[in-house]
Amino acid sequence: MRRYYDRTLMLFALALFALPRTILAQDEKPVAPVGRSYALTNATIIQAPGRKIEKGTVVMKDGLITAVGTNISIPADAITIKGDSLYVYAGFIDGLSRAGVTKPKEEKQEKPKDPGNPPAERAGITPQNDVRNWLNPNDKSLEELRNLGFTVSQVVPYGNFLPGSGAIVLLGGKSSDDMVLVNNSALYSELSGAMGGVYPGTVMAVMAKWRELYKNASLNKSYAATYASNKNGITRPVSDRILEAFYPVIDQRMPVLFKSERVMETQRVFTLKNDLGFKLTIADVKEGWPIINKIKSSDARVFLSLDLPDDAKKDDKKDDKKGAKKDSTKTDAKKSDVKKEKTSFDLEKESLEKRKKESIGLYTSQASAFNKAGIEFGFSAASAKTKDIQANLRRMITAGLSEDAALAALTTSPAKLLNLSDRLGTVDKGMMANLVVSDKPYFNEKAKVRYVFVDGTLYKIEAPKDAKKTDAKPAVARGTWTYTTKTSQGSGGGKIVIKEDNGTYSGKITPSAGKDADLKSVIVDGASLSFSYDSNSGGKVDVSVKIEGDSFDGKVSAGQDGNYSIKATRDPKSN
Amino acid sequence: MKKIQLISGLIAAFICALTIHISAQNPKAKYGTFALTNATVETVTKGTIKNATVVISNGKITAVGENTPAPQGAEIIDCKGLFIFPGMIDGGTNLGLSEIGSDARTQDFNELGDIIPQMKALTAVNPNATAIPITRVSGVTTALASPAGDMYAGTAALINLHGYTPEQMFAGFEGVVLNYPRSGRRGGFDRRTEEEVKKANDAAIKRLNDVWERAVQYHKVDSATKGKDMGYYPEMIAMLPVVRGERALLVEVNAEKDIRAALKWVAEKKIAKVIFTGMAEGWRVTDELVKAKVPVIAGGVLELPSRDYDRYDQAYANAGMMQKAGVKVAIRSQETGNQNYRNLPYHAGFAVAYGMDKMEALKAITIVPAEIFGVADKIGSIEVGKTANLFVCDGDPFETKTQVKNVFIGGWQMPMVSRQTELYNEFLKREPGATK
Amino acid sequence: MKKIFILFSLAACATWTFAQDKGNVLIKNGTVLTVTKGTLTETDVLVKDGKIAQIGKNIAAPQGVKTIDATGLFVMPGIIDAHSHIAIDGINEATSPVTAEVAEGDVVNPLQVQIYRALGGGVTAVHAMHGSANAIGGQCETLKLRYGTFDGDAMKMEGAPRTIKFALGENPTRVHGTGNGIVPRTRMGVEFVIRKSFSDAKKYMEDWDAYNQNKLVKGFRGAPPVYNLRLETLAEILKGNIIIHCHSYRADEIFMLLKVCKDFGIKRLVFQHVNEGFKVAPELAAYGAMASVFSDWWAYKFEVYYSTAYNATILTKNGVVTSINSDDAEMMRHLYHEAAKTQKYGQLSDEEALSLITINPAKQLGIDARTGSLEVGKDADIAIFKNHPLSIYGVPQFTIVDGIVRFDRAADPADMRLMVDPKQNIDEPATILSEKGRDNCMDGTEFLFTETDKK
Repeated sequence: MRRYYDRTLMLFALALFALPRTILAQDEKPVAPVGRSYALTNATIIQAPGRKIEKGTVVMKDGLITAVGTNISIPADAITIKGDSLYVYAGFIDGLSRAGVTKPKEEKQEKPKDPGNPPAERAGITPQNDVRNWLNPNDKSLEELRNLGFTVSQVVPYGNFLPGSGAIVLLGGKSSDDMVLVNNSALYSELSGAMGGVYPGTVMAVMAKWRELYKNASLNKSYAATYASNKNGITRPVSDRILEAFYPVIDQRMPVLFKSERVMETQRVFTLKNDLGFKLTIADVKEGWPIINKIKSSDARVFLSLDLPDDAKKDDKKDDKKGAKKDSTKTDAKKSDVKKEKTSFDLEKESLEKRKKESIGLYTSQASAFNKAGIEFGFSAASAKTKDIQANLRRMITAGLSEDAALAALTTSPAKLLNLSDRLGTVDKGMMANLVVSDKPYFNEKAKVRYVFVDGTLYKIEAPKDAKKTDAKPAVARGTWTYTTKTSQGSGGGKIVIKEDNGTYSGKITPSAGKDADLKSVIVDGASLSFSYDSNSGGKVDVSVKIEGDSFDGKVSAGQDGNYSIKATRDPKSN
Repeated sequence: MKKIQLISGLIAAFICALTIHISAQNPKAKYGTFALTNATVETVTKGTIKNATVVISNGKITAVGENTPAPQGAEIIDCKGLFIFPGMIDGGTNLGLSEIGSDARTQDFNELGDIIPQMKALTAVNPNATAIPITRVSGVTTALASPAGDMYAGTAALINLHGYTPEQMFAGFEGVVLNYPRSGRRGGFDRRTEEEVKKANDAAIKRLNDVWERAVQYHKVDSATKGKDMGYYPEMIAMLPVVRGERALLVEVNAEKDIRAALKWVAEKKIAKVIFTGMAEGWRVTDELVKAKVPVIAGGVLELPSRDYDRYDQAYANAGMMQKAGVKVAIRSQETGNQNYRNLPYHAGFAVAYGMDKMEALKAITIVPAEIFGVADKIGSIEVGKTANLFVCDGDPFETKTQVKNVFIGGWQMPMVSRQTELYNEFLKREPGATK
Repeated sequence: MKKIFILFSLAACATWTFAQDKGNVLIKNGTVLTVTKGTLTETDVLVKDGKIAQIGKNIAAPQGVKTIDATGLFVMPGIIDAHSHIAIDGINEATSPVTAEVAEGDVVNPLQVQIYRALGGGVTAVHAMHGSANAIGGQCETLKLRYGTFDGDAMKMEGAPRTIKFALGENPTRVHGTGNGIVPRTRMGVEFVIRKSFSDAKKYMEDWDAYNQNKLVKGFRGAPPVYNLRLETLAEILKGNIIIHCHSYRADEIFMLLKVCKDFGIKRLVFQHVNEGFKVAPELAAYGAMASVFSDWWAYKFEVYYSTAYNATILTKNGVVTSINSDDAEMMRHLYHEAAKTQKYGQLSDEEALSLITINPAKQLGIDARTGSLEVGKDADIAIFKNHPLSIYGVPQFTIVDGIVRFDRAADPADMRLMVDPKQNIDEPATILSEKGRDNCMDGTEFLFTETDKK
């Protein structure tokens, strides 16, 4: 996925699959766009759940939607995209994830001398931290989510107890600051303790510490106010960044955002809310149905998880495939079953399977249950695998969630819950130009996202490679590859030589600026190739790519140096 | 290092001193001819006899019956209103091999190594372990002192709970302990991935088979050469009687899947003498157990069900379900951590409360383990000619409140004291009390 | 400052009031073991709205009230386990020798199937305790076994006094002294840690009192002391608002804590395990301290080597309010049998033995006005047995909490899980066998030890 500011956009629809390789292989420096004006014509526009325009046009300029409807005159400077047979929705909004957030390197920390009183950082108490410090517009995770139609995420720093404040970001931008829509959107927290035997190690200690921090913040804040009103004659209050981070929460200006997947976790979060009285958002909720009334009667804002347990049926299918031969014996067994009485163990297994299926059903129908209970909710992608998200949405719909309600939970509801309704969530004049365009209605099983607009910038989604190909024989990886990388700091490149000896791979990377390094754990699985090496700075670099013919394309994770993309072509003679 | 030795020496001396101090006050066991009269005798093998006399002489039961006269010179113990039962046998303990659960220095049941059948429990049995009198005054007279550990953990020995050397205590059975490899996780703390668990199990099974094949090979060579010029292979020497069917293999196994695998394994290897122990999920495999005719030492009974969806009383019902299905079942207590083998009758009692036939439960802690261990000619019931291992009590031996009045082991009348009774006597009415 | 506290307490009041389920039931014609008022044969017990409304003969069933025919059965108060670790997520905050601020009440987990299994043993209430890794551990929670709820708060016994775990001897010295190289490593250190904590709490209390006093003066603008939840909790102990439940084994350490409590004016004190309590029974009785013991556990570590199964009897005969507890999810299912062992070891009467698992633990938890015996006006927490509960053949048939039948031996299905793991591997279940003789109090400290000395 790359950005296109290209004149070829005029012919975009036609050129979708036929982009000449020469262009792809060209230097990656983006060509400056002609303008920031687009017209998407003759498409089915779902402005909001329940509001549809057939054969309509959306006009965007400078990151805003300037016109929506039929009979719209297309401005002369607009790049037109023919939307015939396409479906246009407001860009989706994710309530909690770490898309685009760089994970700090995990360092092995020594146990402090007094594990009962570790430094705040070690204890996981860094509410003063700001997720903006770790944003990376080139992070692969950001692109993955965007490819599904998400345009905005509420993102938070890594960590477990009080990692810092989150931000609402656009899933794309020139720089980390460019991505930020709302900073300090919430104080993020998780009810999980510090690792390695230091305080607070358990959930109960985390909760105790939460209360203590909050109360001291309240005390400090009010004393600071006393001092500010008249500084004469009283001791100056000492600055405390940790406690000060709670001030906007105490003032109800900022909510506390808790990840609370499990039903018990959610209840514990409510316990804290009720004790302390802060504004609460719960996100990535997976087991909310048993306490749906409790959630409803609270004023907490809710984001349900897009993660679902695997469907039981899926497993069955797998078995069937494996045991195609067994099928005949299976039917035989069935015949004899009629005569034979079921043993208590058969009945036990049946009941276990039934209960498991029911259990999966409860997870799958959670969104529907919330909808029926009249709780407004959004979704969060925090723990969902991106490849499963579309299928999971369809499973929720099959389990009773209406398509309109599903769309609301992706657009209008999260916009409202994040106080962004004036800008996001619908396809209306004046809203931000965040759109998702699919080739079939989005919830259709065969629907593919074709374009995503984020803040008026167009992202074209490459058609996913034919899945069948991955099942094929391992791709040929050996050869001499010339690669280019694109990082936030600029482009790079060099050569990679991969050798194969009876299925065992080895190789060497020669960056054009830097020293050689041997490749480690070179693995070829289907069309996937992965390997790692030690960079010149000493850090470990992981590379994983997909090979297609004589080219590959993929990503590089280089620890603190961030994630970036890599492309390469092979010297055809070297294979 | 020296310092530590000195300290542990001092501690040992301290403990010894204390033991000596207490035992100095202890009445001794008494040997001779006894006539236990007017008792209700539960022979286990030959029915219940009321108003009966049991005569003990030269360590043996010499007479049992209604109108049996007391021999001349016999010490007469009037058991009017009392009951006589055969001494109970606990088929799963570490008695004599452990003093304090958390102190490795006092534990002798867990040697290093995974293939160590040559490690003999009998060697390490401490005849003066504190738990021994505590156990026997409750009517448990015989116990399997069993090593624990990895795969082939050692050789267990059946001991009577009286004597001053291991030989004096030995009750005539030894068996090699095999902890059959577990295919599942070890518990909630086991965080291995499914793949890792499987891999570990595969490796263990391979090792199990390799060892067995080696033992069979050793047996062949040893037979062919009549043992001449064989090198010193201690593990193989210890395995030899098992391969030859002269000594039992005690297979500790609990999960359904593992029980099935173990049944298959012993059949494949044609192992002649096999006893399955533990058997928490034996109730799931009763048909196969009956077919294989493998005797079982089940327990402990007072356990949680092994699966979260099992019926709440599944562990209590397990032994009874196996027995009803036709499996030969003995019950053990397995209370190793807190040395509470005295609770053996309660394990049997709970099995009864949750479905086992009462007589079968009594057999499961007397004659059945004796049969399983091949010592039913000596112990396990009250019959003339058998070793005088028995106890006298004032009621149903499973009932919690029942008081054991007298215990005989090998014809010796046991003093009815233990450290726990001594502490009771000293502290019930402490002197001085709160004020001196 | 005051304002803030008012705000906090308002917030606390705003918590949901949960509609506790309360049931109505008539138990007909049973042998009623009231524990405090003798044994009544062929007697009925009428429960209305979760309370015992009437005990007598030939009570007519009010319309629509379910009747349980208890002919030939024994009806006793629901069993109370004064030492348990079920229904909570997390037992030890083992990182510090003093963690008074943490509370098991925050991590109640009503979904554990162990709760149902305890009901199967006639248990209706448990004291869900923090572990024994710390000299001063966390606060405990008294729970009623209202199995079926998903709401942790609904498990809490409303109005039960606050309690806290203390621990003496090997566990805290091993975890902190041996494990982390910080005081305490000895029983001397344990005493010091407790005395210092109480002293700090006293100072803290005085600081806050002074601040609050000053605030009454018009124009006062001073800085508040730093809020410390740990000292705040310890101060509540000094004020008599929290009952200490102290894990202890040896007579000397028990005596030590008696003296410390005396010095700080603390009266509400229950010793847990207290294996050598029998040695200082007169002192315990004189102080009014209570004891919650194992029936017969010993030998699992050095400090329980000189134990005796006659402990409960000696304590009882010396006038100490004594209970028998489990500290174990399996043993808690047959506390009636554990109580019966006092009839083997010391020949206690039926009433004395039953008191050990009903009214006495209720006293120790400060809930004896509401539970622990069958009396009109008390909570309808009842266990109905086939055969006498002190008999080995006693089998609980029904267990009733607040008048609601939560366990019905004949009617309940085998699988009683409230939530089913949607990823459960049905074909290859993980077999988890319990380990007997283990000190459950040390859960959550495994990372500190090697395999061999985990017990």
